[in-house]
Amino acid sequence: MKGLKIMSYCRITDASVIFYDREVVVYNPKDEDPWLLQIYKAKDIHYPKFHKMDNLCKAGFLGAEMVVNDDSQENKENWAVVTFNRSSSLDDDTSYQKTIENADNYFPAPSVFVYTLPNILSGEIAIRHKIMGESVHYITKEFSAERICEAFNDLASDGKIDTIVGGWAEYFQGHVDVLMLKVSVNEEDKQLLTINNILKLWKI
Amino acid sequence: MEDLVLELKKKIIEVLNLEEVKPEDINENAPLFGEGLGLDSIDALELIVLMEKDYGIKLANAAAGRDVFKSVKTMADYITANRTK
Amino acid sequence: MEENEWNNMICVAGEGMISPLGFNSADTFRRVEELSADPSKESEGRLYQSHFGIPEPFFASLIDDKKLDNAFSTFSDTKFRYTKLEKAAILSADQAIRKSGINPSGKDVLFILSTTKGNVSLLGDLDGFEPERIHLWRSAELIAGFFGNANEPLTVSNACISGCSALIAGMRQLRQGRYSHIVVVGADMLCKFIISGFQSFKALSNELCRPFDKNRKGLNLGESAATMVLSKSDEAPKGSFVLVKGAMHNDANHISGPSRTAEGLLRCLTEILTETDKEDLAFINAHGTSTLYNDDMESIAIDRALLQNIPVGSLKGYFGHTLGAAGILESIISSYAVKEQVVLRSRGTLELGTARKLNVSVNQGVANGKHSFVKMLSGFGGSNAAILIKMI
Repeated sequence: MKGLKIMSYCRITDASVIFYDREVVVYNPKDEDPWLLQIYKAKDIHYPKFHKMDNLCKAGFLGAEMVVNDDSQENKENWAVVTFNRSSSLDDDTSYQKTIENADNYFPAPSVFVYTLPNILSGEIAIRHKIMGESVHYITKEFSAERICEAFNDLASDGKIDTIVGGWAEYFQGHVDVLMLKVSVNEEDKQLLTINNILKLWKI
Repeated sequence: MEDLVLELKKKIIEVLNLEEVKPEDINENAPLFGEGLGLDSIDALELIVLMEKDYGIKLANAAAGRDVFKSVKTMADYITANRTK
Repeated sequence: MEENEWNNMICVAGEGMISPLGFNSADTFRRVEELSADPSKESEGRLYQSHFGIPEPFFASLIDDKKLDNAFSTFSDTKFRYTKLEKAAILSADQAIRKSGINPSGKDVLFILSTTKGNVSLLGDLDGFEPERIHLWRSAELIAGFFGNANEPLTVSNACISGCSALIAGMRQLRQGRYSHIVVVGADMLCKFIISGFQSFKALSNELCRPFDKNRKGLNLGESAATMVLSKSDEAPKGSFVLVKGAMHNDANHISGPSRTAEGLLRCLTEILTETDKEDLAFINAHGTSTLYNDDMESIAIDRALLQNIPVGSLKGYFGHTLGAAGILESIISSYAVKEQVVLRSRGTLELGTARKLNVSVNQGVANGKHSFVKMLSGFGGSNAAILIKMI
């Protein structure tokens, strides 16, 4: 049956990275590297720009990396990136604020300021995977499977986009909470994108 | 001068988050932008901040930095000639 | 227009704004017309020294705080304390809602907030507000709540194209039939956080910005709140405006530098315009921020889309770049211009100098019976948007 199907998903929390129901990376408290760097190394990713990203972008980027799983640098004209979170770029905003707070040490940092917009996450994903459809970021008070489902379905119903990468990407006060999805319009025997199916993955 | 060159390499790596690069990997005469380290416009802006913060040199804009930031060596020469810190 | 086509028409049922040029759309437009017609007139934008605790001077268009407070306290005797952004947003939304005649507390009404930084100034000084107030969703909640609307609002934070993204999201909600009316509010207020950041990018000009100009040196920032009420209507009155089509595309190139070949913006323009549509275009209201790269990129997109003869202008010379409000503010002003059959002067443009040649409105012009315009925007993160808007 044709419809918007969940092709792959990735759930990242403070404890682990879950991909297709398996824990593929587990947080190692003894490792000196911060958690997101542990994931980057464990998945053997080579993308030097990663180290310039703020925590929100690193977290969302890693989730997208897992679900897209495609190194081809061809333009993906009919793909889109749609992300959601609660705290916007507040984690990086706080870092940027430190660079301007003190009149005696006033050095506004451009490489930090550039990440003080939550949609940079969708931009980084679009750049990495050459996604040339829509890229957009929404803010909701809490994780909302309903809003995610609505946004993805509305976008696909315009008829131009057949694949969407996105979902929830939150990084706040040291905590990671990501559910990245790759959904596609096709007839494959995969789970339909529904509110309940999204919730099941969120609760994994 | 050698100390300054090494110091600059370390600072560039730190300030520009070049985590996968070591000071030994940077040739002091190699271009910083374009090829070589492949730095971009935001990196150029951060180097402008670095010049002011650590060496007291104010550059008006990225264009003014173009010649200064050609390589680590040109940066070191410029700093030696103009530093106020 | 065939009768059954009305059912899919997304109409602008009402609009409103709070800007440094006026505290409603009509006053603001009158002031814009004045400035457009007379190049010798000075605008509300000016150079600020040591303002917001920022050591470097900056040129901007700011809303007078006292004037806004007075307007708000005259409007409402509520004891609840709102931030500058929330006050301006509520006032602009109220104007739009009254014009539309809708009941804003209805279950069939959704509020969408478009903002890049919300109450970010609270990061430096909470000023007695609760920490949660920094969150964008909280401002959206308070704005919708002021009008008694119980539906959870949606917030779009998509850099400079937020306004267009929000309008497109609203169009989709209406097409899906979930709501009958969408109140799309765009707002951003300036502060040390935002201005210092743009200064660190060396992106600002300390004089009036010069869109598409050979000697352009950067952008001016501005602040505003602007609202459009969108409704699906099968009886759009003559003279009302319709959002025909919207598109967004990412350049997939760089997070802060526009595509040198305008890939994303070109795709937006070709997606929203048929050949017939092009013939009815009075003008293109571009982003026109006056940075070297943005204006070049827009000229390439327009040229590649074969629109180089259509009058092009930027409103940044009147308002500055109003970030999350821009897409909505500039669409409203453009619609007023089409109604008056005026092609506004691209204020600040003196001598053309973009990568491709454009028909920039260096002088004010007339619309010659054309009733459509394109609103286009580009933003950080590589995003681009364009919307085709038409007067019935």
